[in-house]
Amino acid sequence: MATPTITRPEWSTVIDPVLQKELEQHVLVTNWDKLLGMVDTVYNWGRRSSLWPLGFGLACCAIEMICTASSRFDIARFGAEVFRGSPRQADVMIVSGTVTKTMMPMIARLYDQMPEPKYVISMGACATGGGPFKEGYNVVSGIDKYLPVDVYIPGCPPTPQALLNGLIMLQKKIDGEKLDIPLLGKHGNTPWYRTELDRDIPVPVLGPDLIDLRTVEIAAEKTAQGLLDAREATLTHPPKIAAPQRESATPEPAEPAKPAAKGAKKVKRAEARPSIVWLGNEGLSALAERLNAKFGAETATIIQAGLLIPADKLLVVARYLRDENSIRYDYLASLQSVHYEDCIEVNYQLDSSSKPGSLIELRVRTAEAEGEGEVPSVVGIWRGADFQEREVYDMMGVRFTGHPELARILMWDGFAYYPLRKDYLEPYYEGPSKVFDSRVEEGFGRHFRAEEVNPYGTNMKIPRDFKDWAKLDAAEDTKGLGLLPSGVNVSELDTDQFIISMGPQHPSTHGVFRMNLRVDGETIIGLKPVMGYMHRNHEKIGERNTFLMNFPFTDRLDYLTSMGNNFGYALAVEQLMGDDAKPPERAEFIRVIMAELTRVASHMWSIGFLLNDIGAFFTPALYAIEERELILDLFEWASGSRMMCNYYRFGGVAFDLPPGWLERARGIVNDRLDGKIDELDRYLSGNEIVLDRCKGIGVLTAEQALAFSTAGPVLRASGVPYDIRRVAPYSIYSHFTFDVIKGSAGDVYDRYYVRLLEMRESVKILKQALADIPEGPILPGKKSYQIKVPAGEAYSRVENPKGELGYYVVADGGPTAYRYHVRSPSFINLTALEQMCLGHTIADVVGILGSLDIVLGEVDR
Amino acid sequence: MLVVIGILIKILVVVGITQGAVAYMILLERKVAAYSQDRIGPNRCGSNLVLPGGFRLNLPFGLLQPIADGAKMILKEDVIPSYVEKPLYILAPAISIIAAMIGFAVIPFGPVGTQAPSGVNFQIAPGVDIGIVYVFAIGSLAVYGVILGGWASNNKYSFLGGLRSSAQLISYEIPLGMSILGMVLLAGSLDLNTIVNYQDGHGLWLTRWLGLPAWGVFVQPIGCLLFIISAFAETNRLPFDLPEAEQELVGGYHTEYSAMKFGMFFLGEYLHVITVSYLTVILFFGGWDAPFLNQIQSDWFSGLLKALVLLVKVGLMVFFMMWVRWTIPRFRYDQLMDLAWKALIPIALVNLVATAAIVELLRSSH
Ligand code: SF4
Repeated sequence: MATPTITRPEWSTVIDPVLQKELEQHVLVTNWDKLLGMVDTVYNWGRRSSLWPLGFGLACCAIEMICTASSRFDIARFGAEVFRGSPRQADVMIVSGTVTKTMMPMIARLYDQMPEPKYVISMGACATGGGPFKEGYNVVSGIDKYLPVDVYIPGCPPTPQALLNGLIMLQKKIDGEKLDIPLLGKHGNTPWYRTELDRDIPVPVLGPDLIDLRTVEIAAEKTAQGLLDAREATLTHPPKIAAPQRESATPEPAEPAKPAAKGAKKVKRAEARPSIVWLGNEGLSALAERLNAKFGAETATIIQAGLLIPADKLLVVARYLRDENSIRYDYLASLQSVHYEDCIEVNYQLDSSSKPGSLIELRVRTAEAEGEGEVPSVVGIWRGADFQEREVYDMMGVRFTGHPELARILMWDGFAYYPLRKDYLEPYYEGPSKVFDSRVEEGFGRHFRAEEVNPYGTNMKIPRDFKDWAKLDAAEDTKGLGLLPSGVNVSELDTDQFIISMGPQHPSTHGVFRMNLRVDGETIIGLKPVMGYMHRNHEKIGERNTFLMNFPFTDRLDYLTSMGNNFGYALAVEQLMGDDAKPPERAEFIRVIMAELTRVASHMWSIGFLLNDIGAFFTPALYAIEERELILDLFEWASGSRMMCNYYRFGGVAFDLPPGWLERARGIVNDRLDGKIDELDRYLSGNEIVLDRCKGIGVLTAEQALAFSTAGPVLRASGVPYDIRRVAPYSIYSHFTFDVIKGSAGDVYDRYYVRLLEMRESVKILKQALADIPEGPILPGKKSYQIKVPAGEAYSRVENPKGELGYYVVADGGPTAYRYHVRSPSFINLTALEQMCLGHTIADVVGILGSLDIVLGEVDR
Repeated sequence: MLVVIGILIKILVVVGITQGAVAYMILLERKVAAYSQDRIGPNRCGSNLVLPGGFRLNLPFGLLQPIADGAKMILKEDVIPSYVEKPLYILAPAISIIAAMIGFAVIPFGPVGTQAPSGVNFQIAPGVDIGIVYVFAIGSLAVYGVILGGWASNNKYSFLGGLRSSAQLISYEIPLGMSILGMVLLAGSLDLNTIVNYQDGHGLWLTRWLGLPAWGVFVQPIGCLLFIISAFAETNRLPFDLPEAEQELVGGYHTEYSAMKFGMFFLGEYLHVITVSYLTVILFFGGWDAPFLNQIQSDWFSGLLKALVLLVKVGLMVFFMMWVRWTIPRFRYDQLMDLAWKALIPIALVNLVATAAIVELLRSSH
């Protein structure tokens, strides 16, 4: 086909180009069009110079967006620092991060609320096309599926410079806009004055999946045809393995009782231990015997170093362990579930505050079939189980009897599937593990967009029998509705209470977090957190990733502490690999240095933003960010990336430190950080208003803090000196002298102050580590992309800045993790939020939330 | 006739200047914010402009930023959400800006009365002998803008913002009013000129002994402090900016407002800051009094010089208010109320009684 030729109007007279230029430059207005053009110029100039962004961030990219406003990059130079909390006053929406299905209705609503002319910048790979999380079942494949985008910024995350460039690009685009003035016969390209054009985006609906109302007929038709089922039938499903059984008496790892799958090689098994530091085999058998003696034989069976408890005895055993056992297991460290071939296992990691480090694991098994599983809820014993049980219910469909409000927590009620079940295939599913055939040469490199394989052409999966299309209603708040706090009457006066939904777009929720508050005046009398607006399906994707491939994904959990996240994940897999992956000494030092630098950076950020939450307009935050930037520079130098470092490897780190790195790090640590921490201390700790706003607010007693399974600075501020670096030492932390900081009051102030003092301790560790770091290799063997991980189960714990970060990994000897769960401190710390907020005011809620220091990437995963 | 024209011109000049000043105050605020945060602040807007005819304009410090902001705001779509109480919703920003503007009627922006050069009057409505009362009356009208805005928006955040502000502004009106009574007693007049003239004199024996001028800040230090604190609250500035507490209430009462309606709230707020700064300077910092100026001189030159002195002082006061905003955190609502009712008002009362006693004593000793 011939390309269409472009015709241009011919000049009737030839003008000397020099003369023409002269004319253009020096004659002010040559004709009517030019004059009208000047209107455009002024009109555009006003808008290009005053682009006020909507103050909302979705995910990791939002952190870089905030950094763009910080001293180093200063978006204010372009007049664009006025982040407006209300969409009514914003000009440009910077979609900074992963757009999830749960969040999409909110974004559409926000967009519709913005006044014209409005612009959209799609920041980062996720907003542009789904990015690394595209395959997730709760991820929208790019914001442009719904909103018109003006500028795309590549990167994951784009650096602040890239965002500035994006802003300049948008300004250029605005420069090219021409007004439509029909009265004067002027035609332009600005769509917002055309009344026949409805620029509003129909708000999509959370039904069995996210449903775009513009294409609902097509979706209904395709659903009725059952195209997706047909497609899934042709794909390889992920294998299911049998749950581990009781070991036979012989020390040999016995062949499983059931006939092994045909052609299966005998897989190497990892040493059975729940975590590196735990109660130990003897202690465990003694405990099992005690339990059996007390509650009858067969109460506790030791399976793979964990106690299998029958579901009907779980509560009595749990209560015994908490109240009567010689070691009081009063701390539920983690709770998760695994979908095996023959059962769904819920397992509980327990630790004791009186004898920390004596971790044990309980297992409870229940029916495998979808929706059949039932386990008694332990919320009455460890309140920290609340959200974690809801998560298991949400992801696996196991019901917890006796749970006060068993509702979905990350997805929404009405979502059609239990996504972490092995038989649930995501809409873009290609195969059980990466690298998918389509991406490599053997697949003939036939790259295609994931959209093409899904019959709906988008990330959607709807059960064939879904019929209620007509009932879908965009006005309904499916996600938050079930979670309205019930009210109690607190005042004698007859006052009206009302419910405020704070978030998911709110200046102070630290991301897309939402709270349904019931208030009487300004007093909180009920609070229900609503989360999942950033649920990016980390765990499901983690089951498709090979072990090594999963590192960059861990970066994006708590995106402020990517090094720490790497650390925990490396430890989990190293625990399975045993001595094959023992890091050499230099690598251990590097790991500790990076982890502690991360802690300083993260605490800096959190202190800064706590102050912001209680009203100090960004000033402390920006000073804190300056220090963080210096640390990020170190990270970038060593790993190649500011935020998403992806630096640790199994048995070591990815690269050795570049020459000069150590000197610079020493410079920063020895000469600068102490002074800066002092500065924060001096200006903030004694400030009257800070004291007034923080002392006695959001109190959590030591017992409550333990019962709620809080971790990290939140737990320690309540006076429990529980620091994983001490109670379950990993890496080489036992080499260093440092104090475990604890507070006493358990209020906002203590949490702030504990963080401040912890930075000092981190600096102490850093000084020691930077002084003693030896030369040597950084990996035990050669660099390798093929990693054999023996079958088994591991739970690693690290003291991340936010608290205990745990990775629970079940390996079946294959290239990917069979089950991969993250015990996220931010998520579990939130369990205590309602308790802390009751009786305080709205202003305090913001401060309390700030003092918990949550990061949504980790809360929702 | 001539008088009317003169007044009209004056009004136009004052309105024009204050509006311009407000626009540039916003720029100043952004610059102050930037410098307190170790940033640069707006500096692109106005630089490297190519004007028609090939002229290049290069203004530093983002000097055109306020104009660009204004142009944008005016040209922006003015959304009136369907769920608002329409008449009130539209009225609220108007009230807010009108109240802020007409408060200027009695504010002397240069020497007036005996000190004024003949023929000019640096005041729109000269000789209103209840000047202060008028300013206060108008100032308290501004609160309607906020309350109505919060109420009419039919939005919970706005509603809370409106509630907070009604309580806050009403509470702080009291210490604000009482804190100046001391000065009024000393000067023996409600007229702003007389108060300035008083400060030009030698005041009480203590200040005389210390060789200080009789500025309100020296003769009425407590009153001055109370006034400044209450003034922060009256103008919704941090640490008392609860009605719009961004971290809690998103935008507070103006959450639902867009385009120029929002801009009007914004302008109203800054105008209020200017009014309050003028009042503070006139009441407590000697007005146009400066050590090198003689109050008797009433020629043109010294008149202008005095106006300039006043302007500089006001500028410093405005800067101070900005500086505070970018430095300290915010009070909580109940703490704010406690502060007003349990601390400021009792102190103001004691101060008032003590001043009255002293004035009486001094008079009887004469
Ligand atoms: S993963 Fe995070 S950093 Fe990367 S593009 Fe998505 S939101 Fe941005």
